[in-house]
Amino acid sequence: MPRKKIFLKLCLLATLLMVQAVSCFGQSTTGSVNMSATVSKFVEINSGGAVTLSGNSGGGVTTDGVANSPLAVSINLGELGPSNLNSFVTAQVPLKLRSNAAYVLSMSATVTSSGTTASRIGAADVGFGLGTVSRTGLGVNAGSDTNATSGDPTLAANGAVNGTTGRYEFTAVRSNLSAFSSSTTALSGPIIMNAVPRSNANGLTVPALFAIKPQFFENGTTTISVTFTVTAP
Amino acid sequence: MMRYAFLTALILLALAQTTSAQALDISAGGQPTITGSVSGSVTGSASVLNDLVVTINFGEVSPLNTNSIVKVVVPIALRSNQPYQVSVSVSGLNNANPQALQASDVGFGLQNMDLLGGAGKVCTQSTHIFTSPFNNDPAVTATIGSNGRVVYPSSLANLSGSTVILSGPILSKNNSSKRQQSDGYVFDAIFTVTPQFFAAGVSSATLIFSISPGPNVPC
Repeated sequence: MPRKKIFLKLCLLATLLMVQAVSCFGQSTTGSVNMSATVSKFVEINSGGAVTLSGNSGGGVTTDGVANSPLAVSINLGELGPSNLNSFVTAQVPLKLRSNAAYVLSMSATVTSSGTTASRIGAADVGFGLGTVSRTGLGVNAGSDTNATSGDPTLAANGAVNGTTGRYEFTAVRSNLSAFSSSTTALSGPIIMNAVPRSNANGLTVPALFAIKPQFFENGTTTISVTFTVTAP
Repeated sequence: MMRYAFLTALILLALAQTTSAQALDISAGGQPTITGSVSGSVTGSASVLNDLVVTINFGEVSPLNTNSIVKVVVPIALRSNQPYQVSVSVSGLNNANPQALQASDVGFGLQNMDLLGGAGKVCTQSTHIFTSPFNNDPAVTATIGSNGRVVYPSSLANLSGSTVILSGPILSKNNSSKRQQSDGYVFDAIFTVTPQFFAAGVSSATLIFSISPGPNVPC
């Protein structure tokens, strides 16, 4: 074999070895860490505290609200016939909402009565409204909320005796449960919480106000069931 | 002619050895781990012979994640035949909404500088130093700030440009240009996110760790 060819082959071998050496060492002076995180929309509704029942004759709060616990209260409104001489039986249920996004609080209600006539207690006889909205405490975002109800149903502006029928009626916009036979917006607003941990117990609080005017209702028993739902559209 | 050919081959081999021999090396330091996550993950090589390429998905960090903190530990191996320093730069985390996840919401600390093995160099005249404020475990040191938001002694917000986070003397006993199992040190880079009422969205960031010649400290 000519020496020139051997020389070329050796050079080629050396080059290959060099390339091999470079690739085998595999050292590096840099490394990378890529990271990502997801923040989904989050909303929650809890009890804002104990229920206040007033104007009742008999009855009582069967299952009370516990602040920051799931909302599941049960109230016996007591006697709603004329033997109850109070002008209204009212129940105030504090709600607490928290979110990292704009929210909508909706409500739906059913009213079932054992009575069979038009004088039985119906959804329109149960006044409803949301009271003053409060956004206070560390970590709560300032914002303006829209109350779709007319507020305290016992206000004179929100109801009166019907001049024709004599029955007391809650007449203002969304001031009684007949307006909530299906899920209907009661309150909405912007993001509630700033970037704070869930352990921060603050939030938006608002009282849900229920009222019934004792009247000559048909005797019997009535069950009122209300469901609140908060969403982040 | 044959003599020259052999000589040339030997010179080329020597050159290859010299030009490719890197005195500084950073690699994976073991299996990365993640705790406290919901739908999160971390991927990276468990072998110290492989490059440092780690992908962290913290998962859900809204209050839907009811864990107190999401913690990721990334072991990183280092090798050098000279004093060294490790720098980190971060990019990509630019949420305009202050209530969204910010660099300051990602805790970043360093812990546990340990020998990889027997071929790691033990120096007695200088120590390996985690640059302040990074010498902490952010999962332990996190506190609630005056605005109610979680704060860390050190976070990604402490990285400005290429920031030195660690330096020290020689790391490797041998002068091998080849990565080995035991010829350096390993430390933990710890990343944390506390689930909070962050504004909704997806955030991402990239960190580049670099090793380079450091202050000329004795061994």
